[in-house]
Amino acid sequence: MDFIDYYNVLGIDKNASQADIKKAYKKLARKYHPDLNPDDDSAHQKFQQINEANEVLSDPEKRKKYDQYGENWKHADAYESQRQQYQGSSQGGYDFGDSGDFWSYSGGGDFSDFFESMFGSARSGRSSRGNYGFRGQDYTSELHLTLTEAAKTHKQVISVNSKNLRITVPAGVANGQTIKLAGQGGPGSNGGPNGDLYITFVISEDSRFNRIGNDLYATIPLDLYTAVLGGEQIVETLHGKVKLKIKAGTQNNSKARLKGKGFPVYKKEGQHGDLIITYSITIPSHLTEKQKELFKEIQSLS
Amino acid sequence: MKPDLIILHEYCVKVNIEPSFVLLLNEEGLIEILIIDNMEYLPLSQLKELEKYTRMYYDLAINMEGIDVIHHLLDRIKGMQAEINHLKKKLRLYEPE
Repeated sequence: MDFIDYYNVLGIDKNASQADIKKAYKKLARKYHPDLNPDDDSAHQKFQQINEANEVLSDPEKRKKYDQYGENWKHADAYESQRQQYQGSSQGGYDFGDSGDFWSYSGGGDFSDFFESMFGSARSGRSSRGNYGFRGQDYTSELHLTLTEAAKTHKQVISVNSKNLRITVPAGVANGQTIKLAGQGGPGSNGGPNGDLYITFVISEDSRFNRIGNDLYATIPLDLYTAVLGGEQIVETLHGKVKLKIKAGTQNNSKARLKGKGFPVYKKEGQHGDLIITYSITIPSHLTEKQKELFKEIQSLS
Repeated sequence: MKPDLIILHEYCVKVNIEPSFVLLLNEEGLIEILIIDNMEYLPLSQLKELEKYTRMYYDLAINMEGIDVIHHLLDRIKGMQAEINHLKKKLRLYEPE
């Protein structure tokens, strides 16, 4: 667990006034607020750090403790026990009061281990609008699938906050696609509704196919002789093997489109994208003397 | 309370925001308020968006015009992000990592 320089996080010096802290926090919060940076994990992390720095530096009590111990924060336990004795209280947590109009972001996430270690898990939760909650917190979860799994409508059991949920995954979900399970998030308060559960699908790369939208792309090796003379080639699709006719004179990197052999279209039963095959013609590299002679003969005839 | 509808006035009192702010969001087309028998209701489906705009307005001190601009820009970013992802996938066909 490392020391966190909260002044550095807010870009202010150690003598900064409360007004300076408030100004720096507001400016950085506007830049990194999750509502303004959706799906940006690095911005979310930065926002949490800013919130944490603000939580400490905007509170005179916490700031005093932080300034006093700084990088020697590991000795802060002694300070804590003294402080509790002084207050004659054995209860955990702090009473920070409502000392300002700073705001906090609900759902800003957990604070760092450093914060928890120095200040406990108590947070002031101060807000200019008071501490009212209403709608419950949204939960997010990831569901990892293989390409083959994503191609079939199937059921999965996911565990969220020690609750098992059985969900149906429709065929054709895309990598990064998110579905919402309304009301499966955190409980609401003050008569408010539960939050929602957002499940993001993470589909692993497949060694055989690249998927773009509903189309699948595959590169298959084709021997020189079949490419030159024509013939047949067995090709693997998502739904089994098919036999393709190869035209005589097939060029390297030429493509064949197999209609309806691609990925199922999301929530459109029976519809599929295409499979696009790219032929990669294999040039023989170890020729026997006889083969060399024959190639030379062909060359002389060309 | 009707199912899936929240009485706007009650909601505003609970979360300590001005009803006029919500009505202004409705006028700007950023959320949708229903009026039934002269009573204003917030559809449950709008609650998440309203909470987002509330944070922008009250917490980040962004005014209504700013919220409207952000709304449009976020929409554009979303579209561009989807296009970037699509192009990245296509590029991978030609330049595998």
